[in-house]
Amino acid sequence: MDFILSGLIFSPLLAALAVLLLPARLQQPIKLVAFAGAVAQLVLAILLYLRFDGAAFANGQTGYQFVEKLNWIGFELGSLGRLQIDYFIGVDGISIGLVLLTGIIGVIGVISSWTITKNVKGYFLLYLLLMTSVMGCFLALDFFLFYLFFEFMLLPMYFLIGIWGGPKREYAAIKFFIYTLVGSLFILIVMIGLYTSVIDPTATAAQLDLLQNGVASPDAILQVQQMLQQNVISGSELVRTFSIPAMMEPANFIPGSLLHVLSGSVLWDLPLRFIAFLLLFAGFAIKVPSVPVHTWLPDAHVEAPTPISVLLAAILLKVGGYGLIRIVYPIFPDAGAYFSVLVGGLGVLSIIYGALCALAMNDLKKLIAYSSVSHMGFVLLGLASLTVEGVNGAVYMMFSHGIISAMLFLVVGVIYDRAHNRVILNFRGLASRMPAYTSFVVIAFFASLGLPGFSGFISELMVLLGGFSAPDVTGMLPRWMTVVAVVGLLLSAAYYLWALQRMFFGKYWIFPELRENAVISDLTKREYLMLVPLAILTLLFGIFPHLLLDKMGVTVTGFTELVLQNGQEQLNMVLSSIRK
Amino acid sequence: MNEQAAFLSDKINAILAGAGSLLPELLLAGFFLLLVTLDLFKYKTLKHLLPWLALTGLFATLVVQILGGYTLGGTNFLDLLLSDGLAQFGGILFSTAGIFTILLSLQNKQLEHLKHGRGEYYGLILLLVLGLNLMAKSVNLLMVFLAIETVSIASYILTLILKDNRRSVEAGLKYILYGSLSTGVMVYGMSFFYGFTGTLNYTTEGFALALVQANGLLVTVAAILVFAGFFFKISAAPFHFWVPDVYRGAPMPVVALFATGPKIAGILVILRFVAPFADSLAFPDVQLFLGIAALATLAIGNFTAVWQKTPRRLMAFSSVSHAGFLLAALLAFGTNYTSGILFYLAVLLFMNFGIFLFLQIAEDDLGVEQLEQLSGLGKAYPYLGVMALLYLLSLTGLPPLAGFIGKLLIFTNIWEAYTLSSNPMLLALLVAGILLTGVALFYYIKIPFYLFLKRNQTEENLVISLSNKLLLALFALPLLLLFFKPDLLLNWIDRLLAQ
Repeated sequence: MDFILSGLIFSPLLAALAVLLLPARLQQPIKLVAFAGAVAQLVLAILLYLRFDGAAFANGQTGYQFVEKLNWIGFELGSLGRLQIDYFIGVDGISIGLVLLTGIIGVIGVISSWTITKNVKGYFLLYLLLMTSVMGCFLALDFFLFYLFFEFMLLPMYFLIGIWGGPKREYAAIKFFIYTLVGSLFILIVMIGLYTSVIDPTATAAQLDLLQNGVASPDAILQVQQMLQQNVISGSELVRTFSIPAMMEPANFIPGSLLHVLSGSVLWDLPLRFIAFLLLFAGFAIKVPSVPVHTWLPDAHVEAPTPISVLLAAILLKVGGYGLIRIVYPIFPDAGAYFSVLVGGLGVLSIIYGALCALAMNDLKKLIAYSSVSHMGFVLLGLASLTVEGVNGAVYMMFSHGIISAMLFLVVGVIYDRAHNRVILNFRGLASRMPAYTSFVVIAFFASLGLPGFSGFISELMVLLGGFSAPDVTGMLPRWMTVVAVVGLLLSAAYYLWALQRMFFGKYWIFPELRENAVISDLTKREYLMLVPLAILTLLFGIFPHLLLDKMGVTVTGFTELVLQNGQEQLNMVLSSIRK
Repeated sequence: MNEQAAFLSDKINAILAGAGSLLPELLLAGFFLLLVTLDLFKYKTLKHLLPWLALTGLFATLVVQILGGYTLGGTNFLDLLLSDGLAQFGGILFSTAGIFTILLSLQNKQLEHLKHGRGEYYGLILLLVLGLNLMAKSVNLLMVFLAIETVSIASYILTLILKDNRRSVEAGLKYILYGSLSTGVMVYGMSFFYGFTGTLNYTTEGFALALVQANGLLVTVAAILVFAGFFFKISAAPFHFWVPDVYRGAPMPVVALFATGPKIAGILVILRFVAPFADSLAFPDVQLFLGIAALATLAIGNFTAVWQKTPRRLMAFSSVSHAGFLLAALLAFGTNYTSGILFYLAVLLFMNFGIFLFLQIAEDDLGVEQLEQLSGLGKAYPYLGVMALLYLLSLTGLPPLAGFIGKLLIFTNIWEAYTLSSNPMLLALLVAGILLTGVALFYYIKIPFYLFLKRNQTEENLVISLSNKLLLALFALPLLLLFFKPDLLLNWIDRLLAQ
């Protein structure tokens, strides 16, 4: 077995242990250890990216590579059979890009944190814990494990915002915590419903002595699934599981359980499966975030210190979109097909509303926070289209937005470090004093507004292509939605160019009260070290999109087709079962 | 005459035959008497030995309970008591709670000033644990009453042990008033059951059968009356009014004991008592009442806790909310739900003693009375702060702590029960229980909020004693262990229950 994925998850944790053992006054060694931990994670991520075989996807479980599966928790539930929780991790085309992104941003974040002086030990301890849990989220294939990492992200983030943040940090931290916790509680409800409904066919085959030479052949699994659907396995022999791949197959659902496609269970005139979808969707939409549950994000971003904003925008938000793709759509494809207008509509709403808010902001960081809301709307739109282009675009968008938003927040951090202020109207003509800085701002802004040649363009193009073709190909979204989304592109050009014009062009001037403390100088070496790689990456993935598309394309395409096909079949089954 | 003698000797033989199964209780009673006697005659010379003597007694009991060789199974003592796995596990939890209480008391500064009555204090802890054991073993309503009274009387005096403290006196008075009222109501309800069924042995089949034939409305009324006494012990609404005052006035170790021991014992008694009511068709009203009581307790506990300004009152309402949660768990009839509840009760023990030890250190050494006074302590004493954080997260029910697994198991049972019965009350309990966790986070996180996010005004350089540090770890480690390997405890519980 290959332990590269465990290495990815636990390398920051090891570094965190080392940090814990170091005395707090050794600030420099602590930073170096944290840096080493992040670099180790990045190196492993790059190795994984190189070794990952983009063409390996067949369907279902075989698409996962570097799989590690160990028994973790198992106990008897009496008449309900056994419960099995596995340490089950793997990587496929959907997660490979995000794993790479997490590695990159982790290192950038440590470099950006170099200027932290307050309680360095605590800061890096929490930072490394956060990196472990984010990576765990992207690699977990067991719902319990995913949920563990998902919830565990909240706590370090709460303290990182709450202790090292800006003036209103306490409010922002608690708002972030409560919002995301409520989201994860929605997820918890469905998780309980799912694991009590789903069996692990392999483990159940073992219980029924259907193994040949200790392995369950495909035939044996098929036999178990058929026996299950005919209700001939006694309850005490069923092995319930949290495995996400098992949950993706309707044949693994126990007949009579409320989330079975044929259960016919209804609540408030909606099939229970649809309600489960909506709960999960709500949980992840808070994390994405989608309008109208996005209000925690601007607060959290404005108060968080620069490196934490970078992490938040670049990778934590992606967990929301990733959860939708990894968990919500494949497990409930029927509801995904049924609610595509809702999901797409919320996506378009986020695009337009986020952009309009960004247009109205005076604070540069808030502007960028809202631009994140707007761009993450494209993820929802692409996913809702359920077309190959759309979903590929959504996954690509998550990667590309990760790189670009990291750059954007770093750029804001640069001006804040110098002037201790980031209100747009307080600055004019910065280009004349900070030419190098201005050029990076221009790159970041143009990349974000979707200029061809940058990665943002590729993803938005694919999402829009998917959206436009959806009415004909999959019958999912009305065409006007995509048309409206295009307006969002225009708006994003407007707010970026307007901000650029107001802050950077014209004659140099800054607000008089800021002058005393402000030292307006150009980029330092450390800042170059962070911005140059990100600029190169966004260009690289803008000009050679196949670098990532080759790795993820086959999986995402297969995944989309599977979801679409299962979705329509299961939707018919669900609707017919409730009519009975 | 001869007949009478034969009758008596039969009874005596039955009692003696059952005595073996009472070994833990006999040990506790023996050590209790020893403590009280020594306190009376040799107080001056032995007063520092008394807590250790009590500890020895509890340890001996714990060892006997874990080995479990005395368990004979079946009912004994004239069908008053039942020694089964449930009672055995309960007993283990009670002895552990007693040991923890004494360990906390040894660190407590308020109790150091206790001039007289040290023996009484430690003796009463033993007596209380004895009562708890009897509660868990009782299968006869009269015996339940006696056991609850034993616990109550010990509790009243323990609340009042700091006689010079006005708050303590007020708390004790309120406790006695509420306590005697609810016990009276309970006995009244029990008399109804005797009338319906002609027996007080409420776990027998005859009892259940007779109930089905009795007037449904009257059964409901009688059950509600009996629940009054049980709810008082587990601090469920509407019998929770004593809780904030007692938690405010009693010494911290006693509060920790109240938050765990009687609550666990009360839940075990209810667990046995509600079994005949599992059939929702025969007793829809009893289940409805339990459901509403659980919802009300959850809501009152969680929402009132939000407004509290002192850590003690906050924990009081947190304790109420946990009672509501456990009541909700009891409604998952039809599923194999006992082991989930027992797991949660065990977790409750560790997290409650942990947080109360933390509050005791904060109160005694740092003079914290209000939540605000916790400001910055986490930065000054990181070890203390991190430990408090662990207990609170476990109380909230977040991973990676055992509180999460406990809640997961109980929600699973409720979901399963809902799948089987489609009873909307269960769905309401499930959703309320899960979503109120969000509210719970809001008030629990207040403590870490002050500890870590606020700056401290005063600079004190206090050294937290090694014994306190070890105790904090003793309560925290099981919480982590039981998250990562809950099957260790669950499989053990299953083995005990299967006996």
